[in-house]
Amino acid sequence: MPELPGRKVGIVACSGEELAEGTVTRLAALKVLEQLRPGETVTICLPLFLAGGEGDRAFARFYPTIALDGCEKRCAARATEQFSGKPAASVVVTDLLAEHGLDRPQGARRPDQSGRQAVDVTADRVADLVDDLLGGQWSRRSGSFVETAPATTAEGTPQVGCACGSGIPVQTVAVDGQAVSLAALPLIFEQFHGAGKAPGADVTRELLETVKIYNDVPAGTDEAYAAALAREYAAFCGQAESRS
Amino acid sequence: MSPDESKVVVVPCSGIGKTYGTVSREAAYEVTEDLRPGSTGLVALSLLVLGDADARAAVQAHPAVTIDGCKLACAAKMVQESGGHVAQGIAVLDVYRRNRELKPQGIAELNEGGILLAHAVAQEITAVVDEVLAGEEGPTHA
Repeated sequence: MPELPGRKVGIVACSGEELAEGTVTRLAALKVLEQLRPGETVTICLPLFLAGGEGDRAFARFYPTIALDGCEKRCAARATEQFSGKPAASVVVTDLLAEHGLDRPQGARRPDQSGRQAVDVTADRVADLVDDLLGGQWSRRSGSFVETAPATTAEGTPQVGCACGSGIPVQTVAVDGQAVSLAALPLIFEQFHGAGKAPGADVTRELLETVKIYNDVPAGTDEAYAAALAREYAAFCGQAESRS
Repeated sequence: MSPDESKVVVVPCSGIGKTYGTVSREAAYEVTEDLRPGSTGLVALSLLVLGDADARAAVQAHPAVTIDGCKLACAAKMVQESGGHVAQGIAVLDVYRRNRELKPQGIAELNEGGILLAHAVAQEITAVVDEVLAGEEGPTHA
């Protein structure tokens, strides 16, 4: 299996600057990323779904994602769903505060006491959701859970996992004349080449099966995808040989 | 429609993964709350991402100063894609290069260097705001 980003949960905060609740989402997300679940979570800046590349837009398909919003506009949840993938879970700070009977925070720049309490309550809720999501089996192909499975052991180091600009490696190939972006393809090629697998019919079939793990290959298009993969892998190997 | 230059909107990237994003956010607050509260307004980038009508109208109606924490320049790109006019794009990294002694650290909470760097960014924004209000304008950051 190619070496792909480890099993983690994505957190996308709205970070809305105009509202105290927006600052709460930012600080709560950072508390989870830095303190509560540092090895099990990763984040990305919301605008990268538009300003970034295909790899950034693949974020919510690769990671089960928690959208964290300050208000009912739900910018993080809606933009994530619109541009990346449906969030696995969603938290709205105003709803959470009402649920706990807490006062609304004041001060977008510096949270007051209510704001700090809101950060703690929100971060705890997100951490619980992280634990729940790590207990499910996430399909990177469909960007959704496929079945319930025992929790896996998370990997990572205690620092903020920022996916900004790095994203999931994506390669665009022509399939029957149509440009198709395939997540993880560069890593798959690299791994196959590193394993000494020369282009050929058997390797193409194996490539196709591996690509299907991370991408949706529509029914009835196997032959076209296989032809594209055979062509691209041969080119990849040719370039690799010429470099060595 | 030409932008109404009686007011300038400030749009920070507020990047969550790097300290420069926090510097951008702090600088925006300093300008809009402390230095030029009457002549500037803050626009949340998340609203522009979602295409919020009020946020789009604000950047279309007034010149914008964007503050970006990394080379991806999300704030500048989103203002432009929203039909707004970037009067000046400020790159926090550029300001840091001119002020190497102000090394920022921390994302949830900035260290002293970060706060001072935000102050330096805010001063540059204020100069741009004053130029725009006076009818002059600096180059657009790419």
